[in-house]
This record gives sequence, C-alpha cells and structure tokens, in this order.
Amino acid sequence: MTTIQQPRILGAGVDRVDGPLKVTGQARYPNDVNLPGMAYAAVVRSTIPSGRITRMDTTAAEKSPGVLEVITHENADHLGEAPATFIKNPQPPLQDDAIRFYGQYIAVVVADTQQNATAAAGLIEVEYERHEAILDPHDPRAERIKDPWGEDTAWGDVRTALNRAPVMIDQTYTTSENTNNPLGLFTTLASWDGDTLTLHDSNQWPNMIQQVVAAMFGLPRDAVRVLTPFVGGGFGAGLRCWSHIPLAVMAARHVGRPVKLELTRPEMFTGLGHRTSSINWIRLGATRDGRLTAIEHESLTTLPLDGDEYEPCSSVSTWSYASPNVTARDQQVRLNIPWTNFMRAPGDAQGNFALESAIDELAWEVGLDPLEIRLLNYAEVDPKTGRPWSSNALRRCLEVGAQRFGWSNRNPEIGSMRDGHELVGYGVAGVSFFWYQQPCSAKVIVRGDGSAYVRSAVTDIGTGTYTIMAQLAAGLLGLEVDQVEMQLGDSSMPVGTAAGGSGLTAALGSAVHDACGRLIQKFVDLAGTDPFSPLANVPFEDVAVSEGRLFRKGDPTRGESLARILAVHGLTELSADGNSTPNSPDQLGMTPAGARGARFVEVRVDEDLGRVRVARIVTVNDGGRILNEKLARSQILGGTVGGVGMALFEDTVTDKDTGRIANATFGDYLIPVNADIPDVHVEFVGEPDAFNPIGVKGIGEIGLVGVAPAIANGIFHATGKRIRSLPITMDEVMD
Amino acid sequence: MHEFRYERPATVAEAIRAVAHDPEADFLAGGTTEVDLMKDGVFHPDLLVDITRLPLRGVRRDGTMLQVGALTTMEELASDRTLMERAPFVVEALLRGASVQLRNMATIGGNLLQRTRCRYFRDPAVPACNKREPGSGCEAVNSVARMHAILGASPACIALHASDLAVALVALDAVVHIQSEEGERLVPLTQFYLMPGETPDRENVLRHGELITAVDIPLPPEGTRSIYLKIRDRASYEFALASAAIAVIMDGPVIKEARVAMGGVGTIPWRGFEAEEVLREAPATPDTFRSAADGTIRDPFIVPGTAFKVELAKRTLIRALTEVTS
Repeated sequence: MTTIQQPRILGAGVDRVDGPLKVTGQARYPNDVNLPGMAYAAVVRSTIPSGRITRMDTTAAEKSPGVLEVITHENADHLGEAPATFIKNPQPPLQDDAIRFYGQYIAVVVADTQQNATAAAGLIEVEYERHEAILDPHDPRAERIKDPWGEDTAWGDVRTALNRAPVMIDQTYTTSENTNNPLGLFTTLASWDGDTLTLHDSNQWPNMIQQVVAAMFGLPRDAVRVLTPFVGGGFGAGLRCWSHIPLAVMAARHVGRPVKLELTRPEMFTGLGHRTSSINWIRLGATRDGRLTAIEHESLTTLPLDGDEYEPCSSVSTWSYASPNVTARDQQVRLNIPWTNFMRAPGDAQGNFALESAIDELAWEVGLDPLEIRLLNYAEVDPKTGRPWSSNALRRCLEVGAQRFGWSNRNPEIGSMRDGHELVGYGVAGVSFFWYQQPCSAKVIVRGDGSAYVRSAVTDIGTGTYTIMAQLAAGLLGLEVDQVEMQLGDSSMPVGTAAGGSGLTAALGSAVHDACGRLIQKFVDLAGTDPFSPLANVPFEDVAVSEGRLFRKGDPTRGESLARILAVHGLTELSADGNSTPNSPDQLGMTPAGARGARFVEVRVDEDLGRVRVARIVTVNDGGRILNEKLARSQILGGTVGGVGMALFEDTVTDKDTGRIANATFGDYLIPVNADIPDVHVEFVGEPDAFNPIGVKGIGEIGLVGVAPAIANGIFHATGKRIRSLPITMDEVMD
Repeated sequence: MHEFRYERPATVAEAIRAVAHDPEADFLAGGTTEVDLMKDGVFHPDLLVDITRLPLRGVRRDGTMLQVGALTTMEELASDRTLMERAPFVVEALLRGASVQLRNMATIGGNLLQRTRCRYFRDPAVPACNKREPGSGCEAVNSVARMHAILGASPACIALHASDLAVALVALDAVVHIQSEEGERLVPLTQFYLMPGETPDRENVLRHGELITAVDIPLPPEGTRSIYLKIRDRASYEFALASAAIAVIMDGPVIKEARVAMGGVGTIPWRGFEAEEVLREAPATPDTFRSAADGTIRDPFIVPGTAFKVELAKRTLIRALTEVTS
C-alpha cells in the first residue's frame, strides 16, 4: 500500500496524538468507565414486529439474585418529547404498550452485576396481541412518502430528452440493508447528582445527546453533561440519541446509583439504526457517442414506523455529470423495522452504485471505454446552477488513477483476460460526494509557558480529529504539534457539531482557524499597547508567527514570544473563542463541491464457482487540502474496506414473517477480513478548496463510495454479467 | 446465563461418573461452542465437568494409524508432522476450520461435537426449532438463508453440520473411542452422526455420560494425494458454503482408489460413497468427475436460499477432483 506525495496539498503525516493512549489501553472509552456504587442494566427486546403488549410478568426477574429494579412501560417515568436535531430522534422508550418493530426495548433490568441483570432480563414473560406487520417495501399497504425532504430536483425536459435519445439505459439497481457495526459496543453510564446528570456515552455528537436528554428529562441543558472523549467507532451510528440512553438515565434515577448500560452485539443491530436498503430506477439518455442528454433517477428507501431519515439516493445524479436534462426524485416507505439511520456515506453510497453502474452500461452500449465516458461527461461547472465549483478534481482523479492502475493494459473484450480458472476484470467508477457543513465553535487558549490548548465539545470518533486540529492550531499559532493539547468530547465545552457527514473537519477547523486568528489579534493588541515591546504599534497585518513568537514580517529579529507577552502583562493565559458558519454559495458565487474520487479495481472471478476476489484497488481522491497525509490515507483505506463489504458481503437479513434480524452477530453478518482486502493504492489530488478558510473537504466517507460499482463493473468486464443488486454473491455470478 | 456448578475431577472415570449421574450435567473441554451456546441461552446445564486437564491429550503413531487424544487441540493436531506428510488434507481442514486463537482452545473431541451455526437454533427468541425444543417445528425452513444443509435435511430440520475436520475424517474412516461407566466402545465416524429425521435434537450416537476419549485416524498409503477445498463468501473466518475432502491413489491417468466427503451441504459430514464407486478404476476425466458429483448430490432438500448450493457443491467437488488428480 503506497501513497504518492502531493506536497502542495498534503499536510504532514504526523502520528495520532492519541495513539499512545489507545494502544496502551489508557484511553477510557465509555464502557471502560466505572463509578463507585455502579449498577448494571440489561434490556429486554420485543420478539414480534407489530402489536401491543397485553401482559408482562416481571415477578421472577424481580426475585432474581442481585436485581435492584425492573422497569417496563407500566412503571416507567413519563418523559418529555425528544426534539429533532438535524433529524428526528427516537421518542422516549417504555411510554406505551405499542410494538413497532422486532427488537424494540420493552423493559430494562438493573442489578448489582451485569451477569445478574442479563440473567434476570431473560426471566421476564411477555404476552402480545399481534398485528400484521408490514415488512416488504413493495407492500401496497405501506405508507409511502414522496419528496420527503422537499429536495426533488428537475431541470430541462427529461421526458422529451429520453424519448429523443438515440441510446437509452433503463435499469433498476438495488442495495441491501447494512449495519454500521462500530467495534466499540455502545455504552451509556448515567450518574445523577441531585438534579444534574453526567453521561459517559458512545456517540458522535455530545451536544446533541445533551440537548435530547435534557428535553426528555425536563432539565436545563446545563444540568446534563455528556462525556465522550473516545468512542470505538461510529460510522454514523452515534448521530442520534438512541433509546438505550434515556433507559440508562431512567434506570439510574430509579435505583439512585450510577447505571451502566452496555449493548450487546445483537442489540447493536436493532438499537442503533442501519443503512436502508434502496431501489434505484435509472434512465439515461445519450447520444451515440456517449454524451449524456438526460438522467432520470428515482429511489425508494425505507423508514421505521415512527422515525425519520435523510437518505437521498438520487441526488448524486444532480451533481456528478453534465446533463442538460435531469430529474432526481426520492421516496420513502414506512415499515415495521428497526430504525434506518446514517451509515458512512448515506444515500451517496447507494445512489452512486446505481448511477456508476448505469454509466458503465451506457459505455458498453455505445462502445466507449468506461473511463472515457466519465471524462466525456465530466461536469465542468455545477450542472444544476451553472455556477463554478469551489473545486473539483474529478477529472484529475480519473486520469491519475488510470495511470497508476495501468488502465491502458485493459483488453476491452469481455472475458478476454484470464488467469487459470480466473476471469480477470477491470472496473472503474467515479465519485462525486455531497458537501455538508454545520456551525461549530471552539476555544483556543495559550498558557503562560507558551503552550496552547484547544477545547470543543465535538468528539473524535477515531478519524483523527484530535491530531489534525492540533496540527492546524499549531500551524496557526506558530507552535509545535506537541505544544498543543486537545480537549474534546465534553458537552460543557464550546458547542460543537456532529462528527458526521464528512463535515467536522471543515466546521471545527474553521472555528479553530477563527479562534486562532482572534487570539493572535489579542496578542498583537497587547504587544502593540506595550511601548517597550518590539512589536509596539505594529499593525496586525504586518505580524507573522513562528516558533511561539510574534514578529514583524520581513524582520524576524523584531518580535516577542507569546509566553513573554503574557508574562509582561501579568497573565497566566489568554484565550479566544472561534466560530464557524458555512459560507453562502450565493455570496461566493460558487457551488461548494464535496470530495471527488475515482476507483479502479481488478477483480478475479472463478469461472466455475462464481467466487469474486478483489485483486487490487487504486483509489484517488480530491479532498481539497489534506491536513494529515497519514490519517487521511487511513480514512480512505477504512472506507475502501467498507466499500468491499458493501459490494460483496454486508447484508442485514430480516426474516420475512417476524421482522427479526436473522444475522445479528459477527459470525453471521459478514464484513471483510484482512484476507479479502488486496493491495490498496491511495492517492490525493486537487487543490485547496475555496469554500472555507482552511481549504479542506471532508474525506471521512468518500473512501467507501464507488468501490461497489467499480467491483460490479469489473465483474461485468470479466464475465459479461451485469449484477444490479448488492451484495454480489457467488450464487448470482455463477452460471 | 443460567447458573451452573463446576467440577474438575482428577480422573476420566470420575468425570464420566459425575456426568452420568446427573441428567443436567455435561463435559467441558475447549468450550468454544459450548460456552457460546450457554451465553446465548441455548444450552443450560446445571453442572459442567471440566475435563481439560485429564490425560487425554496428544498424538500417538500406532502402525498405519494415528491415535489422537480427544483433548488434543486443533492446533496441536494441525502441527503433527506425520499427519502433514500422510494426510495433509486433514491439516488443511483444521487450518481452514478456525482461527489460530480458536484452534488453540478447541479440542478434537469437541470439534466432532460442535453444534450447528443455524441462526434459528442459536437464538432462543425463535420459538420453532426442533433441535433446541423438540417438536416445536423449524423456522429455518421457511426463511431466506444460504447457510443450510441440502443433504440429509427434511422439513423438520435443515441445520448444517459445520465442521471441516469431521469432513476429512469421515473420508478417512476415522474411528471414535467412546468411554462410559460400562466400558469402551468404538464407533466409525461414518456411523457416529445421526440424520435429523424426526429427532433433530439427537445429533450422534453418544448416550448421556459417554465421553469421547480418542479418535483413530487411519493413515492413507504412501503416495496418496489429498485435498481439502473449502468454498465460502469471504477468504477466511467463515463456515463453508461447500467443501470437499478427497484422497486418491492414482495409477497413471486412472484413479485406483478414492475417498470422498463433503462439507457445507449436509446435516452430517457427508461421505460420498457413490462418488467413490464412480471414481474407482475410472479415468480422471471431466465426465468421471461430473458423474461423481451427480452421484454425491442426489435428492437434495432445498429451500429458495439454498438452491444454488446443489450446483455449487457439484462444481466444488469437480474442482477438487480436478486439482487432486492433475
């Protein structure tokens, strides 16, 4: 695995600042935290998908050894409504007898040990009145929601363009349900002190948990403190306040002790949401030489009965390629299923599979190289508005990737490249990822010794936020990285946004940038008012910073260290608050482009058995300015592995009659193992993005996108079989 | 987890006595299946009799046979030099059967007794499972799943026997030593496992209180070629969709003698006697291999999710035969 240096945009690949803590076991994840007098909770889940509870017998559980409390809907606290935070959160659990999906929490047992709690949870007897469940997206009884987010898009005249198109592709592409499966089991440790509450909690957005829990329990926001300095991965699973959190809080209030609730792996499948399945109907119209004249993309995704989800699959078709006529529409269908939720590249991952498969089909239809058709239809400007992009290196991603991969060695004839039993196929896919940014704030403080620390309530879900923000602040303050301490994952710190949507680096980075600028300004002001300072009366614009010193630009001898400025003014530290809000496309006259990318994949298909192996992958990405080459590469690698999983393995299977997730263990739900992942070549291209002051584009998710269609397209090249549903398994590839 | 007592007797006789006299007792060896099932609430003994320190560990050469103590770990057996030389496909089956962490814990006796991975058996929230609750029905047969048996299955049970090792061992006519308070009896592995029939809860001939103490593995003659081919979705750490264990003695282009067994397809490790008939004294040709495969995968019981396994199993066998004879 190699990375080519592109020094213009690549930040130093310094090691994770939190790495030593993690590898020596000193980083305390929520499930590592223990408090004196702590009790343990175990949940009980429904075993029907729809109906109501008619009777619960908790007698045996209550008498079971060590049990402190059993809470059901009959004795649960009445909680307030859960507010929406960007999107709806689950309403408080145990408020009524209704069952909306298999696996819904119907009781929580608290005991002196985890073993006693779990044993007692198994003793609760439940009787139900069963209602007919709606589990199939095609069920005509299911509620359908058209244009769920008011984002359906159309320009030009797709109907006419399709009617007149000399070449048309009209196909349906489906993707399966996937489950996020962060390795860390989500845990909430709730501890009351009078009317204040502290939560050690696994999530991706501490301020969101704080807000929702405060509202449910009728507390002022400041009375709830959420601590998430470390979390064992999220992949989107931590972007809502899931029901186990208020259950732990309620349990702690009932027993008057801190209560820890750690989900089991099977509970992680029903309790934290999952990636929706999708059906994508795509029609492409094109000229005989492969130029797109129309794109029509409609999608259908799923929703739980009482939930909400933002998962536009069709929108990728509005910004990926140039087309004068486009329609993009989404629909959702409500089912008796556990919550659907964001999972790494929500919507984009599914929509891109459909679009990039269809583009590939078009290439074959018109006899064009699949790489060429993507270059031919490259969108020089935002096809919807005609505005320039804030940056867009998709073309460069494709060109560089093709060169590194050796695309020119490809024999275009299907099945022409063979190695023993194996048919070799080359596949390509382009990726245009969405742009997302939310307001965020941070505080930066310089101490008397000249070192600094940065505080924000956001959390680092393992992506490297601690490290890249330390690098960024160090650069802006003229310090070494190890002189900057990061303090994150505490809701009492400056309000932060979600570690999600590939949006945190731009949001927090811009806030840190703002804070550092204000802080330097304060130092310059202080020095400027000191007649003995070498910087007396030097205006801000003329000051540079390096090695912990402010100095006059062009005259490094004329300067003063930050530490000295503080000392002279009798200060122990100096701080500044920074905020960021996304810029306005109208004001800047440009369309913010998310990350861009290209995937090149060599697949090997066993011609008798249909078994698919990925032999190598080249992934080239435009993430704007890359703050840390090493961590960015890790993000792309991790995403690539997720992409291989989505393509070949991951499939959350629901029993068609009961709504039970049938494969809710790591033995049954397949994710790639090391042996499934080949050599992956990661490379970054592009230039600093113009839409935010630090020039970044989020890259947390894009690595996953495009891997599945590149694999599917490679399988077609190898075998002539077009597989339009994920995951692609050997039974579909076998003749 | 259900509360249980734990004992660690000093001798084989005491261990057998302890289990034999308590209907809710069971032996504990490596625990890699058993403890999982206890945690999942599928299996709830009142007494576990730990046999891990009994003197039943080690591999001994006895003429043309290896006698393997029941408590020998998978990893120990996989490292046995004689086995590697004389029956490398058994080693392949061991190595493909589990990760090294599991191989260091799991024992040979325990491996033969491993329970099915059927998702409906392993989740007590599923009411219908004849294997778990005799007479309750079979939920798996109505469901969309690929990980089920197509041979030896019935509407009462389609649970797959997931062992890789047992597949190679049934091909070799291994023999199981079974000890009870009454004494020792020897059972060929080909007769050890029971088809589910109407009693899927009974998986083998062991009676309560009987303990596997050793397994005899006959060593094939020098010059025997063998293969264990395991086909699965991902490259490792998964049970087989189809596997083939084959040992052949060749005479030029002709197969003199063949031993065939298949995994990933049967409710028990599936010995391919029909395939062996076809292969014996037959030329090693694609036609021969196809007849052998057709002979082995006969009268399959399929559900929609497993239909593809019929052809997959045949092609797996053909591939393995092609490779081992070429």
